[in-house]
Amino acid sequence: MFRSRFHIIALASLGVVAFSAQALAGEVAGYSDVTHAAASGSWLEVGLFYIVAAAACISALGVCYSKNIVRMSVWLFGALGSVSLLYFMLAANFLAAIQLIVYAGGTLILLVFGVMLTSKSPWARFEPRKIEILGATVVSGTLFVCLSLLLTRADWATTDAVVAGTSMSDFGHSLLTTYLVPFELAGVLLMIVMVGAAHLARQDK
Amino acid sequence: MEHIGLTHYLIVSAVLFCCGIFTTATKRNAIGILIGVELMLNSTGINLVAFDRYMGPGRLDGQIVALFMIVLAAAETALAVGICINVYKNLSTVDVDSASQLRG
Amino acid sequence: MNSHTYEILLALGVLSPFISFWLLVFVGPKLGKPLAGWVGVILGMGVPLAMASYVLLGWWFGEDAASRAMLGEQAFRYHWANLGTVPILVGIKLDSLTIAMYFMVTFIAFWIFFFSVGYMSGHSDEVDGKSKYHRFFAYLSLFAFSMLGLVLSSNLLFLFIFWELVGLCSYLLIGFYFHERVPQYAQMKAFITNRVGDFGFIIGLMLVYFQLGTLDLDDAARIFAEQYAAGTGIFASTFTMFGWSLATIMGVGLFCGAMGKSAQFPLHVWLPDAMAGPTPVSALIHAATMVAAGVYLVARVFRLMTPEALMFVAAIGCITLTLMALIAMVQTDIKKCLAYSTLSQLGYMIFGLGCGAWIAALFHLITHAFFKAMMFLGSGQVIEGCHHEQDMRKMGGLIKKMPVTAITFLVGVLAISGFGIPGTNIGLGGFFSKDEILAVAWVRTFDWNDYSRHEAEHGEHHAASVPAIDSDDDASDNLNGNHKQMLLASDPQHGDSHAAPQHGEAHTASESPRGLKPSAHGDNAHGRAGIFSHVPPMPKWMFYLALFTAYITPFYMMRCWWMTFMGKPRDQHVHDHAHESFMMYFPLIILAVGTCFASYFLFRDLISDASTAATIAPMVLATDGHLHTAAIAAAHHWLITGVGGSFVVGFVIAILIYGRGLGIASAIKNTVGIQQIHTILDHKYYIDELYHLVWVKGCLCIAHIARFFDTWVVDMTYNTLAKLTERLAAFMGLIIDTHGVDGIYNGIAETAIGMGEAVRRPQTGRIRNYVLFAAGGATVVIVLMLLYWGVGSPEQVAMLTP
Repeated sequence: MFRSRFHIIALASLGVVAFSAQALAGEVAGYSDVTHAAASGSWLEVGLFYIVAAAACISALGVCYSKNIVRMSVWLFGALGSVSLLYFMLAANFLAAIQLIVYAGGTLILLVFGVMLTSKSPWARFEPRKIEILGATVVSGTLFVCLSLLLTRADWATTDAVVAGTSMSDFGHSLLTTYLVPFELAGVLLMIVMVGAAHLARQDK
Repeated sequence: MEHIGLTHYLIVSAVLFCCGIFTTATKRNAIGILIGVELMLNSTGINLVAFDRYMGPGRLDGQIVALFMIVLAAAETALAVGICINVYKNLSTVDVDSASQLRG
Repeated sequence: MNSHTYEILLALGVLSPFISFWLLVFVGPKLGKPLAGWVGVILGMGVPLAMASYVLLGWWFGEDAASRAMLGEQAFRYHWANLGTVPILVGIKLDSLTIAMYFMVTFIAFWIFFFSVGYMSGHSDEVDGKSKYHRFFAYLSLFAFSMLGLVLSSNLLFLFIFWELVGLCSYLLIGFYFHERVPQYAQMKAFITNRVGDFGFIIGLMLVYFQLGTLDLDDAARIFAEQYAAGTGIFASTFTMFGWSLATIMGVGLFCGAMGKSAQFPLHVWLPDAMAGPTPVSALIHAATMVAAGVYLVARVFRLMTPEALMFVAAIGCITLTLMALIAMVQTDIKKCLAYSTLSQLGYMIFGLGCGAWIAALFHLITHAFFKAMMFLGSGQVIEGCHHEQDMRKMGGLIKKMPVTAITFLVGVLAISGFGIPGTNIGLGGFFSKDEILAVAWVRTFDWNDYSRHEAEHGEHHAASVPAIDSDDDASDNLNGNHKQMLLASDPQHGDSHAAPQHGEAHTASESPRGLKPSAHGDNAHGRAGIFSHVPPMPKWMFYLALFTAYITPFYMMRCWWMTFMGKPRDQHVHDHAHESFMMYFPLIILAVGTCFASYFLFRDLISDASTAATIAPMVLATDGHLHTAAIAAAHHWLITGVGGSFVVGFVIAILIYGRGLGIASAIKNTVGIQQIHTILDHKYYIDELYHLVWVKGCLCIAHIARFFDTWVVDMTYNTLAKLTERLAAFMGLIIDTHGVDGIYNGIAETAIGMGEAVRRPQTGRIRNYVLFAAGGATVVIVLMLLYWGVGSPEQVAMLTP
């Protein structure tokens, strides 16, 4: 299905990077009582962050660059995986797992199905106008520069407090106490979406 | 080694966000636009979790909002794909420029 | 019965014709031909007549003299509005004169309304296919309302309002056949001539308002007397005009209104022309009631008249009665003849008032109303019966065809001629009233000095024994001191005591006319007599003219009757058609009976009853059939025997001339000398021509001059200015408008179009472009935050950090 060898290599390397990073992250931060403070600043964490961050950025740029919808999906998969790894590194283990399961496993597959169902030729290209590409480049570039400036200038009231990795029970407890109403609303929403999607996608008789 | 702080994560998030905007603004394929939106949503997810980690550790607020974000993203994707399929059924294409019946 | 009952009944009687008027205006056409007329008869006049009869009987049989006087004092007043600082009181003037007039108007009008039902049914009343029948009765009802309101008004302002309303009704009814030319001109003439008189009336009203500070009749009279006594107000003015003081001008001004309405000499021209209206209208308005309103007005404002003003009144009346009687001698139109006779008789009334024969003049008004209305209705019957032939030369011998009309007409002729048996109380209305006027005039002319001296001596005797005039019992407080009749003959028991003090003044006055002030008796209120302390005797010519006319009157009336009813028919065609109908001659019989009986016995006493209060004035002279004050009694006796028989002379001459057709008359007419006089009389002294020359031609002349001025001066100037302005405007328009104003507007418009185009461009309809724009906007905001607002700058961070 993939015409280019490049894609296969990229995808494979991404997968390798992802899993190894996950393992490493788990080693470093996730499944031990080792504090972040202890871990932070270590070469492992820094290196790992840069690798994952680079993977995320490259994947995102890949999405931008790709003209083909299938390639975009692949690049998106990389971006989602990288984000999942970043979650791990931020000690959000449960969320990272969810990210992988729901996004990478669910949403992306949904998208790919969508691609396949909606295109006789998945390679079909709809080229935007040059001026649009130029405008988008200028706007997004400017936005990025400005955001970077802002973010680096800001003096965030961060804390270096050491916490243990969050557990699923904490999540469950919060969802059923403090966030009960949004939680239930999310359930209702999902049900409505399910019905709606089924309605939209059903075959005309 | 330098310290990995909040700013690093936020910059990664900014990259993803800008890429999402670019994608949304340049793709004519409906699913391409959807992918751009997903990218932007992920950037906000990174933001939420990073702020949770560095500004209110132990409170889980950011993570839970990120969780809801994922839920919403999934729901949105499901609906959007459904719409795309319907558009395709009707117009035999997913080019958003073709779906211009309402244009005055 | 108290006075409020009277007032309510009389007010209802005024209201009823008003309702009738609106009813006929709105639903008249639906009621149709006979019914609308009967509505007018019943509602418009029947109800007021019932009220008037009830009040008259109650007044007459239910009250003694004292309570009658008191009732008048309690009259109803409603504070309606303020005119400046002067309160305007709507009220009812209730005294026996009011009741007499009210009853006279309603009684006569009722029978004329009744007559009208028959008269109008025989007339073609269609104009443009629409019936005017109901309109006639609507106008009559409105007239009834106005006339009764006029009689009841206690206030000069309201009197004036109703005065104008009756003028309006007169205008409408004269021009009832407005599709013809003659009535159109007649109605305009009547209206305009009356306006001339009303101008004087308004001047009088203004003087009353400004100088006396009230418009109420009684208050005005009281204040007038007080101002005279104190020498203030109107008497303090040194203004004079034509040798008249301001007080005299006020009286003359008010009399001018009467001159218009009662058609006195200079303003008489409208009344003969008013005969163009339907005959019942002539009978009701232009013979019996409305024209009497002028006399009524003079009677009501008698207390505001100075001797000079009264002299003017007498002179005008005297001129009128003579000149009009002469014209009446040569008239051939039956209605015109009666019209001039009416003018002459109105002149008698005015003359009588001017002489001081207040009671006699008003009595003559009432008797005249009866018989003149009857005669006009008779003429209406004749005209109707003869197919609208009005020329008496074509009539004759109608007595065979119209016996009832002829006999009732004859009763009227006898009454107006003063038929009666001298030395007895047997006679018709005119016998008493006209002769009494003449008697008073005789005393005023020939016996004045002797009379006043005699009375004065008589009075001094009383003055010594009755020092305080306040002991008068039946005079109310405010009238008390002013109760200055020189003679109150109708009340002989009180007459002397009334007369006493003031006759004393009159006596001294006769010796030093203006020298005496009221302080002679040390009582300010007595001063009222002083104003009349110089009442001069009348000029002799007035009496002679009035006497002369008393001989002419029977002549022209008998001539009229004879030409119409006696002799041989001169136009067989007219004669063949002549007939009379019950609806029309029944009222004639009623009015003839009224003429014969009711007038003297009822109204004479009613009027003399009123004279006590209504004429605070000074110089009311009167006589009655029973008791004569010496001089007047003598005069009256002499006149009754000498002049009272004048009708015999007049009748004989008339019958001699006209007894055998018109031959003798035309022979006399063609005699040299007489012919010229006849021509002058036939042209009514050329007064109409004179007015036409002076006023109409004068106005046209002025108008032409004004038009010339307008065309060549005013228009020329304006046209030149307009042209200049036009040129300037064109130039300015080119410079400023085209290049300045238009340029600005066009520029604005084009800018708006360009902006629209510019804004339209980004609306591509592509979602991704919008996303880009939104992101661009956010970017711009962030750039601004960085560059200008310093977000995230070290300074701000330092500031925000706790």
